[in-house]
Amino acid sequence: MTTLRSGRTGRPARLNWRIRLRRDRSLILMTLPAVVLLLAFNYAPLFGLVTAFQEYDPLAGVWNSPWAGLYQFERLMSDPLFWGAVRNTLYLSFVQLILFFPVPIALALLLNSVLSQRVRNFIQSVVYLPHFFSWVLAITIFQQMLGGAGAVNHFLRNNDIGTWDVMTNPDTFALLVTSQVIWKEAGWGIIVFLAALAAINTDLYEAAAADGAGRWRRLWHITLPGLRAVIVLMLVLRLGNALTVGFEQFLIQRNAVGHDTAEVLDTFSFYYGIATNDYSYGAAAGLFKSVISLLLIWGANKLAHAFGEDGLYRK
Amino acid sequence: MGNELNRRSFLNAAVSAAGLVAMGPLLSACGGSGAQRAGVNSDAGLKAVLPTYVPNPLIKPDIASIAGGPDVMTDPGFLSYPSNRIATVSGIPGKGGKYSAVTPLWGTIPPADSSFYQAMNKALGAQFEMKPADGNNYNTIVPTMTAAKKLPDWINLPGWWSSNFNTGGLVGNQLADLTPYLSGDNIKKYPNLAALPTAAWRAGAWGDKLYGIPAFSTGFKVAGAIFYRRDVLEAKGITADQVKSAEDLMNLGKELTDARAGVWAFDDVYRYTYTAFGAPLKWKVDNGKLVHLYETQEFLDAADWSRKLAVAGYVHPDALAGDNAGGSTRFYGGKTLISATGTGVWNLSDYQSGQAANPNYRRGAFNFFSADGKSAPRVDTGSATDIVSYLNINLKPEQIEECLAIANYLAAPFGSAEYTMVNFGVEGTHFTMQGGVPTPTDAGKKEVQAQTYPFLAAPAAVISTQSAPNVTKDITSWQAANVKALSKPVFWGMNISMPQAQATADAAQPVEDTLKDVIHGKKSIEDLKNAATTWKSSGGGDRLIQWMNDNVLQKYGTGQ
Repeated sequence: MTTLRSGRTGRPARLNWRIRLRRDRSLILMTLPAVVLLLAFNYAPLFGLVTAFQEYDPLAGVWNSPWAGLYQFERLMSDPLFWGAVRNTLYLSFVQLILFFPVPIALALLLNSVLSQRVRNFIQSVVYLPHFFSWVLAITIFQQMLGGAGAVNHFLRNNDIGTWDVMTNPDTFALLVTSQVIWKEAGWGIIVFLAALAAINTDLYEAAAADGAGRWRRLWHITLPGLRAVIVLMLVLRLGNALTVGFEQFLIQRNAVGHDTAEVLDTFSFYYGIATNDYSYGAAAGLFKSVISLLLIWGANKLAHAFGEDGLYRK
Repeated sequence: MGNELNRRSFLNAAVSAAGLVAMGPLLSACGGSGAQRAGVNSDAGLKAVLPTYVPNPLIKPDIASIAGGPDVMTDPGFLSYPSNRIATVSGIPGKGGKYSAVTPLWGTIPPADSSFYQAMNKALGAQFEMKPADGNNYNTIVPTMTAAKKLPDWINLPGWWSSNFNTGGLVGNQLADLTPYLSGDNIKKYPNLAALPTAAWRAGAWGDKLYGIPAFSTGFKVAGAIFYRRDVLEAKGITADQVKSAEDLMNLGKELTDARAGVWAFDDVYRYTYTAFGAPLKWKVDNGKLVHLYETQEFLDAADWSRKLAVAGYVHPDALAGDNAGGSTRFYGGKTLISATGTGVWNLSDYQSGQAANPNYRRGAFNFFSADGKSAPRVDTGSATDIVSYLNINLKPEQIEECLAIANYLAAPFGSAEYTMVNFGVEGTHFTMQGGVPTPTDAGKKEVQAQTYPFLAAPAAVISTQSAPNVTKDITSWQAANVKALSKPVFWGMNISMPQAQATADAAQPVEDTLKDVIHGKKSIEDLKNAATTWKSSGGGDRLIQWMNDNVLQKYGTGQ
């Protein structure tokens, strides 16, 4: 199919909206349900953000709750517990970026190099599986294995080796949650990379091999450049979500390591907002998080453009 | 106080739920918001509306109640199941209405479309959509419903979460006022409800009005007790009367913990030991001055004792990892030998679950003691029940009357035909009589024994573990030995509803979080002291104490 390209930008020329509508009609129809869903569940609830500027009382309702201006934000800014949550979130996000982010890529490369389709399917299914477990289950498994009364410590204790406190140690909590994330989500994370790998033209490998390029050179010069766009895209998304490190995982383990270590922004909103009836305060914390996230997405996208990648969107 | 993901928060109840009235105007003034709150129950105002008590003499217990102080008595005991199953309700109570109901359930949620539900719908003459929700997360499920004003027609709101739910604010706004239907002699229309002790109705009364329908009310209401594996301890020659102080209990930790064998002496016990140190449940009045728990030295002492227990390695690691839900499994499996929890766990199904794990299983409870072992043992009694259900304010008067007629059916006394239906289901399908004991079939275990309807309304508690009469004897004799120790705490029976800011301060999340860290051995007492100080100065604590003093203590007294 040939498309008209603008001489200036090299991108498709703008057509009359009516022509485009007719051309894309079926595509638009297909996206419609998703758009409706997005409007209903992502955009409409944004209205609730007004509660962050109120002294919201659920019994009085949004319309009748008194206005508080920026009072909730002033409280937030002077609340050491809030800043503790921000610090924990950023730290955990950073650790996960360093330790978790490369894992699915490596796993995808590894899996891609397995020749037997059968073995590949088998490994793929095994590593996908934990994604479908709930966090409760995942953490229970960790507790059963690594907890103070778990299998490992039981063995250590009975062999006089001394016990290994993993599940309740605040100092190593970041490593613990990251390994839990790797165990649970790394398999799921490889899907997008596998797809990108499949899209790389195999002729390139053959040509390079014919020219005498070894395994590593092919990886470096063909595979990685082929994956670059996806990696950057995932990185942008990850940075944009830097303040979202998960909720249930921390909710469940908060009592184990203490709130100083396990409190992240989402659990903070929950405990100090919803659970104690202080809705406006929780909403303010949530709004704060969203604004910072938006800035992060924007910044990461700019960065992607600077590297010559498309990132999330382009003007 | 606290946002525990379990039902150990029983303790909170005695303070937040106890019975005064009529501060509506005053509260809306200081709430700073348009919403009216019900306020506190006043002695005189509440007495004027409380339902008339008409006991039901039809079914006599084997072990009679023993009276303690005012409003305190042991529960009657039944060693066998009454054989004649008297019917107390004539005809079908319902008029074909359709209702949704949400109740907390600590256990496996039964299937939604069960033959038991169908049989109950038929017996009640109404279509009930029962939606039991996980009890361990109930305190987080309900606020989402109230925030959206999407309460079901009938809902159970346990009193120990009153400040989380803001029950005092919901009554009259989202929950229906039942005073016109139940006050004084009006209740005689519903004889089984009239047979509930007066103290039970106080639990659901707010601002001198009746809103709640009580279930499982008792004259022996304590937050909980320290339980032990009687079979295991007695085999080691340890008996309950050897534990007379906190030190005795600590020593048991050393004696019983055998980590190599995977056995730890204790589960989390703080919630049920702190008052033994002389700490108030939440409030006390010292020379006329209102003092909050967090301000007391006894609070710190109690936390420190629990901290030492954890640091010494006497507490099961899973408990220290915050896994409360697995507590009973650990206890049955003999992985922990001493566990403190609400007294509600001591029943037939406990005996059966324990026996399934170990045929010798026997649960015992230590007598209440004072930490120093010298002062007289004293334990705070709570309001007659925490399990209170409410009707949606959107129901029409005739619907409310239909629901109350159904509540009357559900509250039929122990051993009656209706009680048998509600608690055991249909004979032949859900239970069979074996040796005079209603014994659940597999279907009964799955569909009926996960209790839902009794959380809407139930008769006053009796002790009966039919197929295991020895458990009934254990419980009644423990109650008899301890009934003298029960006394009313400050603000007993005054359902206090507070403005938003005070309720948030009352929940005191930062202090409760720190407390958890301390009793798990992760933080020092100094940290707890600091958290309490911060709570007082910038967490609204001082304002809460002031508010309680000005609006409750000075106006209505201590309620004791």
